[in-house]
Amino acid sequence: MRTTPRALLAALALSPLLVGCFASGEGGTSTGTGGGAGGRLKVALAVPPVQALSPYSNDATVLSKLSVAEGLTALDQNGVAAPALAKSWRQVNATSWTFELRKATFQDGAEVTAESVVNALDHAGAAEVKPRVLSDVTLTAKADDADTVTLTTKTADPVLPLRLASPALGILSPKAYGKDGTVSPVGTGTGPFEITELTGKTKAVLDRFDGYWGGKAKASGVDVIWIADGTARANALRAGDVDIAEWIPTAQAELLDADTRHEVPSVRTDSLILNSRSGIFTDATLRAAAREAVDASALVDSVFGGYADPAQGLFGPAVSWAADDRVEVTGRAKAATAAQVKGKTKGKTLRLATYTNRTELPEAASVLQQQLEKVGFTVKQDVREYTQMEADLLAGEYDALVFSRVTLLDTGDAVAYLASDYTSDGVYNIAGLKDGKVDEAIKSAAGEGDTEKRQQNIMRAEAEILRTDAVVPLVHEKVVQGIATDVEGVLLDPRERSLVDVDTHLK
Amino acid sequence: MSATSAEAGPGPSWWRAGAGRVVAGTVLLAAVALLPWLSGTDPAMTVLRARSADQDPTPAQLTAVREELGLDQGPLTHLLHWLGGLPGGDAGTSWVSGDPVLPQVTSAFAVSFTLMLGALVVTVAVAGLVSARTLYLGSRRRLRQRQAGTAAAVLAALPKFLLASLLATVCGVWLGWLPSSGWEGPASMVLPSLALGVPSGAMIGGLVEQSLPAAFQEPWARTWHAFAFPPGLVARTALRRVLAGVLPQLLPTVVALVGGAVAVEKIFNIPGLGRLALDAAVAQDLPPLQTATLVLVLLGVAAGLLLQALRRALLGPALRDGALSTPPPAALPRRRSTRWIAGACAAALLALVVAGLLRDPLRVDTAARLLPPSLTHPLGTDSLGRDLLARLGHGALRTAGVALAVTAVSAALGLLLGMAGRVSAGLTEVVSTLPAVLAGLLTTAVTGPSVWGAACAVCLVGWTPYAAQTAALLEEERASGHLLASISFGAGRRYLLRHHLMPAVLPALLRNALLRLPTTVLVLASLGFLGLGEQPPTPEWGRLLSENQPYGELAPWTVLAPACALVLLSVLAVSGTASRASRRRG
Repeated sequence: MRTTPRALLAALALSPLLVGCFASGEGGTSTGTGGGAGGRLKVALAVPPVQALSPYSNDATVLSKLSVAEGLTALDQNGVAAPALAKSWRQVNATSWTFELRKATFQDGAEVTAESVVNALDHAGAAEVKPRVLSDVTLTAKADDADTVTLTTKTADPVLPLRLASPALGILSPKAYGKDGTVSPVGTGTGPFEITELTGKTKAVLDRFDGYWGGKAKASGVDVIWIADGTARANALRAGDVDIAEWIPTAQAELLDADTRHEVPSVRTDSLILNSRSGIFTDATLRAAAREAVDASALVDSVFGGYADPAQGLFGPAVSWAADDRVEVTGRAKAATAAQVKGKTKGKTLRLATYTNRTELPEAASVLQQQLEKVGFTVKQDVREYTQMEADLLAGEYDALVFSRVTLLDTGDAVAYLASDYTSDGVYNIAGLKDGKVDEAIKSAAGEGDTEKRQQNIMRAEAEILRTDAVVPLVHEKVVQGIATDVEGVLLDPRERSLVDVDTHLK
Repeated sequence: MSATSAEAGPGPSWWRAGAGRVVAGTVLLAAVALLPWLSGTDPAMTVLRARSADQDPTPAQLTAVREELGLDQGPLTHLLHWLGGLPGGDAGTSWVSGDPVLPQVTSAFAVSFTLMLGALVVTVAVAGLVSARTLYLGSRRRLRQRQAGTAAAVLAALPKFLLASLLATVCGVWLGWLPSSGWEGPASMVLPSLALGVPSGAMIGGLVEQSLPAAFQEPWARTWHAFAFPPGLVARTALRRVLAGVLPQLLPTVVALVGGAVAVEKIFNIPGLGRLALDAAVAQDLPPLQTATLVLVLLGVAAGLLLQALRRALLGPALRDGALSTPPPAALPRRRSTRWIAGACAAALLALVVAGLLRDPLRVDTAARLLPPSLTHPLGTDSLGRDLLARLGHGALRTAGVALAVTAVSAALGLLLGMAGRVSAGLTEVVSTLPAVLAGLLTTAVTGPSVWGAACAVCLVGWTPYAAQTAALLEEERASGHLLASISFGAGRRYLLRHHLMPAVLPALLRNALLRLPTTVLVLASLGFLGLGEQPPTPEWGRLLSENQPYGELAPWTVLAPACALVLLSVLAVSGTASRASRRRG
C-alpha cells in the first residue's frame, strides 16, 4: 500500500512527542516503590491546588493535612488550642498575648526565630486578598527576643490561639515569601514532610524532613496525586494505586471493602435556607410549614447512604460540646396548614435552588421538593454550578436553598460562621435574616472570652436562629476516608485539617 | 453559491478562505474576552471562589481582587494586553493562580493531543471493523443487499462517559490490567482512547459503510472486476474514493476531542485541555481561557488544512479536472432484516413509552432505593427510589423531540453554510474544535439559563460536521463529469441544485445526522450544570444517564436502561430511514 511508508514516518515522528508528553508525569513514580515499613505513602486528594499551594488560598489545608507547615498552635481532638511551634502562651491583657517558641528549624535549614514568625504573620496580614481567618481581626506581631513573640489585636480577640492554628497562618521560612506577593511552601515549612516537587495541579512529591522537632516521620515520604472525580478516587484506592483516598462519595463508599472504609463525622452541616427577606418565605408561618414538612431522616438513608446524621441543630456531633450545651428552641411561629399554604402563596412557585458541586445536594433537593409539595407548596428547582448562581443567591433571587456549609471555619470557632451567615449585616446572609435578638445573641457570643461560656452563648445563638425558621438543618455530613488496610496512623479529623502526620506509615 | 465556484480560480478563493478563518477566529476570541462582561457574573467573585471556597465575599475582598486583576479597565485593555504579549511567547498569568499561562496550556494541550491521537487510532480501527463486511463483499462484487448500519448505530450511541466508567471499573479496578486513572505512560492511554474512539469510529465507519456501495457501482469497479483485478486493489481504490468524502468528518469527530473530552478526562483524571478550559471558563479566568481557545482555533485550522490536503492527495487530479465519475444511485435492495430491526426497535420504544407514561416519574420513595428490576419496578429504581421505567417513558418524547429538532436545525445550518463554499470553510474549522461547554457559557451569558439556551448552544457548534460533509461532497459532485455535461446542455442553477447537488449530499447528510442523534442528547444534558436545559427533577434521557452514572457499578440497571433506550432510538432512526428509502425505490 502506497501510504504505508508515510504512515510509518508519521508514527516515527510522533513517538518522541509521545514520550515528551508523559515524561513530566513520571518523575515522581520512580521513587515511589519503597513499600513495606517506612515506605512512601501514596495519597489521593480531592481538591486540586489553585494557587500553587499558597497558604492564603484553598490550598492551605493541604499543607496541614500532610504535615508540611505548622502554625504557632494546633487544634486538638476537642477543638482546643494545643502547642505547635509555640510551646506555650499567655494572655497579657485583653488585646495582647505572648508566645514562647520552641526550638525548631525550617526545611531549608534556617532556624525558627521570633523574627521569622513576625515576618510570616506580617505577610499574611498584608496579603492582597486577606486570608479568611484574618478577615475580622487586625493582628500586629512583635518580636520580644529570639524566641518570644507578642501578638496584639486591635479589639479583644478571645479566640486568638484558635485562630493561629489556621493553616493559612502557617509559619514559613523567610525564603517562601516572594517580592510579588506570592508564597511558596516548597521546602520552606517546619513539618515532618517537605514538598520537594509540585507538578501543576496533578501531583506533588513530599520527602521526610529529618530535622523535624518532633522526631523523624515513620514514612519516608508522601506521593500526592489530585483526583477531582470521586469515582476515580475510589477506583484508585480499589485498584491499589493509592494507599489513602479522601472524600469517597456516598455512591462509591458501598463498593469499598468494609475495612478500608472509615467514616468521620464532619463539621459540615447541610441545611435548607429559607429566604426571609423577599418572596413567599417572608411569612413566618410558611417558613414553619416548610420546617415541619421536611423530614431529614429520609435523606440520611437514601441520599447519604447512611453516611450522615439527622440534624440536631446547626452544629452536629463533630462539634463535641454542642450536644451538651444545646438550648431548646422556643417561640417558633405556628405552621400554616396545607390549605393556608395554598392560600398564602397564591399560586406562586417556591424557587428551590441548589448546586451541582456536591453530588448529594441535587438529590436531596428532589426529595425535599416532594416533601414540600405534600404540604401545599408548588416547587420549581434551579440547579447549577455554584459559581454560576452565587450572585443570585446573595441577591435573594431564590426562596429556598439546599446548602452545605462548614460550621467551624478557619478559626475553629463557630462564631465566625454564625456572624457571616445570620447577622443582619453578615456578608453571607443568604437567608436574608434581620432579627435583633439573633444579632444580639451572636454578638454576646463573640465578645465572650471564657471558652465554656462562649460555647454556651453560641448554643443560645443557635436556638435564636432556629427560632426564626430561616434555616432548617437537614443532616450533619460524615466524610468517608478510604484507607488501605496496610496503612496505620491516619488521622481522621472532623475539621479535615489533618490526615498524615509523623506516625502515619505502611505496615 | 454558484455551482461553478470551483472553477473560480485559486487566487481569490484562497484569499476568501483565509479571510474567513481570520474573521471567525477573531470573533470567537473577542466573544471569549467579553465573557465576564457579557455574563453579568462578577469575575472578582468567581475568581475569589476559585481561590478559596469558604472566603466570605465581602465588598472589601472583592474590591481587592478587582484591583489586583485590573478588572475596572474593561475588556479591551485586557484583550490588547494579552494579544501584545503573545508574539513574545507570553500569554499572561492566570487570574486565579497567578502562574504564567503558556506552560500550563502547552502541557495540557500536549496531553490532550496525545490522547486524541490514541483515539484516532481506535477510531480508524473501529471504522475499519464496521465497514469491513461491505468492503469485503463489495470488492468481490457480491454486495447484493445494503447493510442496515445497525452495528454502527449501536456503537455510535454508546455514551463516551459511560464507556469510560465501564472500562475504568472493569479493566482498571476488577481486572487490574491497565491503570484506572492518571497519565503516567502509554498504558494510561489505552482505556481513555478506547472510550473516546469507539463511538467516533462507529460514526465514521457508518458513513464509510454507507458510501461504499455507490463507489463499487462506479464504472471503473465493474471494468476492473471484469479484468480480474485483485479484490484487494478494488477495495483500496473504492476506499480511497469514499474516504475523500468522509475525511473532513474527522475534524469535528476526533480532532474536537482535544478540547471536548472533559467527561472522559475527569473519569480518568487526565490533566488535559478540556478540563483546563472548563475550569478557567467557570472561574471566568480569562488568560488561560483565551489561550486555550486560541490553541483550539489554531488546531482546528491546522487540522482542517491538513485534511484538505489529504483529500486532494486522495482524489488527485480528478478533482481539479472535473473528471470524477458519478456515483450512480445505489440500486441495491435493502436487507429484509432492516425492516424487522426497525420494527422491533419501534415496538420496544413504543412499549417503553406507553408503559412509562402510565407511571409516576417524580414520586420519590427513599425506602425503595436502587431496587433491581422486579414486577413492581420492571426496570428497577434509581437512587431516590423513582421508577426508572416511568422516568424513561416520560422523558422519551421530550428527549427525542429536542434532540431531533436540534439535529435538524444543525443539519440545515450545516447544509447552508457548507454550500456557501470556501468562505465558510474557515468558520467550520474554527467552530469544529470549540467545546460545547464554551458555547453554552457564551449562550448563558446572552440568554440566561433556559431550556432554549441549551438547544441554541448545541446548534451553535453542532452544525460543523454537516457543513464539512456538505462542502466535501459538493466539491466532488462539482468535479464530476455528468455535472459538466448538464451544464453544457444548458442546465440552470436551480436544476443543478435539485437534480445533481442535493441528491448527492442529502442521503449522506441524513445518515450522519441520525448517527449523531444520541451524541446530541448527551451534549444537551452535559450543559445542565450551567442551568441550561430542563431543570431537575424533569426526566430526560441525558440527565438520567448523568445522574445515575455514579451508581453504575452499584446498580448497573440505572444506567443500562437509559443507555439501551438511547441505542434503540439510534438504531430505529438509522434502520428506519434505511427501510423507508428502500421501499420508496422498490
